[in-house]
Amino acid sequence: MFAIPLGGEYMANIARVALENALRDRKLDRTLTTALLALERVDDGAMVPVDVAAIDRCLQGGVPRGHLSEIAGPCSSGRTTLLLHLLSAATRRGEIVALVDTLDRLDVASAAAAGIDLDRLLWIRGSESSWALIERALKALNLVLQAGGFGVVVIDLAEVPASTLKQIPFTTWMRVQRVIEGSDTACLILASEPLARSSGGLTMALAGRTTWAGASSRSRRLAGIDMRVRVMSPRRRIDGEVNVQALTSEITAS
Amino acid sequence: MLFAALFAAEGTPPGVLADVAREFSPRIDIRSDRDVVLDLNGVERLFGNARTIAEELRRTAADRGIRVRVAIAGTRIAARLLVRHRAGLTVIEPDTDAPALAPLPISLLSEFAPAPLTPGEELGRVFRQWGIRTLGELAALPSDDLAARLGEDGMTWQRLARGEDPHPLVPSLPEERFSQSLDLEWPIEELEPLSFVLGRLMEPLSTHLERRDRGAAVLHVRLHLVRIDDTTPAVHERSLQLPAPMRDARALRTLALLDLESNPPPAPIDRVEVAVDPTPGRIVQFSLLTRALPTPERLSTLMARLHALMGETRCGAPALVDSWRPEAFEMRPFAPVDVNVIDRNKASGLRPQASGLGQSQGLRPSAKPVLALRRCRLPIPARVRVNDNRPEYVAIDRRGMSGGGIESCAGPWRTAGDWWREGWDRDEWEVTVRGGTTYRLFRARDTDRWFVEGIVD
Repeated sequence: MFAIPLGGEYMANIARVALENALRDRKLDRTLTTALLALERVDDGAMVPVDVAAIDRCLQGGVPRGHLSEIAGPCSSGRTTLLLHLLSAATRRGEIVALVDTLDRLDVASAAAAGIDLDRLLWIRGSESSWALIERALKALNLVLQAGGFGVVVIDLAEVPASTLKQIPFTTWMRVQRVIEGSDTACLILASEPLARSSGGLTMALAGRTTWAGASSRSRRLAGIDMRVRVMSPRRRIDGEVNVQALTSEITAS
Repeated sequence: MLFAALFAAEGTPPGVLADVAREFSPRIDIRSDRDVVLDLNGVERLFGNARTIAEELRRTAADRGIRVRVAIAGTRIAARLLVRHRAGLTVIEPDTDAPALAPLPISLLSEFAPAPLTPGEELGRVFRQWGIRTLGELAALPSDDLAARLGEDGMTWQRLARGEDPHPLVPSLPEERFSQSLDLEWPIEELEPLSFVLGRLMEPLSTHLERRDRGAAVLHVRLHLVRIDDTTPAVHERSLQLPAPMRDARALRTLALLDLESNPPPAPIDRVEVAVDPTPGRIVQFSLLTRALPTPERLSTLMARLHALMGETRCGAPALVDSWRPEAFEMRPFAPVDVNVIDRNKASGLRPQASGLGQSQGLRPSAKPVLALRRCRLPIPARVRVNDNRPEYVAIDRRGMSGGGIESCAGPWRTAGDWWREGWDRDEWEVTVRGGTTYRLFRARDTDRWFVEGIVD
């Protein structure tokens, strides 16, 4: 008869395996931790390209499908510009996209100028900032994600007051992540600050400044935005910074 | 083989001639309200010989108040040609179709031109030039020489002239009613128990549609109500126009329920009826190369749920309208067209189904991002201090919108329009305040008040 020594390390391993099994049973194994290796697809279609070469290079292809990612930044940092550019690229590829516009801020002319095929954009419009409205916007987001078939689904929470955003339970984003896990949909949050910090997705934190052309006050005009995009994804080990220039539609056209 | 052709006088009510024909044979081909062909094979044992059947047909039609010509021949085309040419009753002896057709004028054929053939009038002109006036003369032409000169069309015309049917008879089926109903033992007040009843009714309805390869174009729900007082209507009726033919029982039930949630019945329900207007089933060809769109069932269920949650006018696809008004747009139903359909339509020169497709002026190749505006749907009032006709300070009484001294500004750009009704007349400015936020402001020229139109972002 031999006795197996039950050392501290052995017990710790057993406890860890039990914990991992419990998490796996509840499908939380890849939602809560960044320690496990990623199980993401590696083919070309696994990413939604932003269609800005420098950002896509930094993101190793684009925004991952089946994950919750974020575009965050203050007003006039270029976050909406970048989002519309991403949606435009998606509709050009023939995908359908959805925008849950909590405060009804989408400018249709800007969307058209960005090149979005408007027939392929499902626009869900909120009206005013109130907790009931945020709740409805989150429900709408959930309905769209559960319906499936959308390439990109965005919820626009920019300009929603921070006090209202704080009322959103953190588990909301975990639930969203659970809904899209394994699907072909990339979910994006547009906000002033990072909200979800999903381990599988990524965060694009923007800082930018508008640029002006013309020397005299009479000839002065808005030229564009110089965007500084910092991309972070702990699981993908991505942490980089990219400078992007956005131009007004008149300048682009010329 | 024995076929009868009925040809009714002008002004015959729809369906009457078909009802007369169905009394004699289950295999009938309804060409129009005035033109019906019957397959009489085996019917002789019930009604007697061909002449007796013809007389009986005429008598039955007269009982229904319509006057008909009847012709009985060995082929359908012979019967139809004869009934057009001769009034009253015409009965041809078996195997004498070609001789009976021979004296008929060739102009009769022009009414029988199937779609891909050369039009009868055009061919008739050719035959007239050749000196051919009757079907018998056409039938007697050498087939090889006719084919060499007129191709396959000429051969088909000759077969018709000889009284040969181009294809077997395809019987017209009587119109089926796709409906289900259920009398309830106890009246239902809530929608939740109604969902079970609807589910029970939709299942057999869906199976029926599937067997006939039909989809629902319109779903009708009739709820018979318990009369509480004199103001209570007897029936609460709802009709749903479906965006695509569908027959999935769950989708139909969900759509009916969501509609009833928005338009609930005013009294308890004691009888439920569901019916659909059928339409041919949908044929979908998926592609291995492009991403599949959600099915119409799923999409319409999603849209119905979103409409119930956010409001009917708050969800859809945006579209630009032909206007200079800065904020002009309209909402259209969200119905994306499959890329494959667009490609096929382009290849065949057809326009895409959705009228607004490609209206985005976009689909341009990848380029630098274009500056976007976050538009305030209701302009936000602002207080602006102006120096030397240029804004130098802005204050906005809205949480989250910072004001302050203006670092850079460009403008004014004057826009005006719709002066004949409640139009707009404004001077627009783009300004960057000290915090770095860039706004688009405008001054309403009629009131001299300033507003924030949006944030450049």
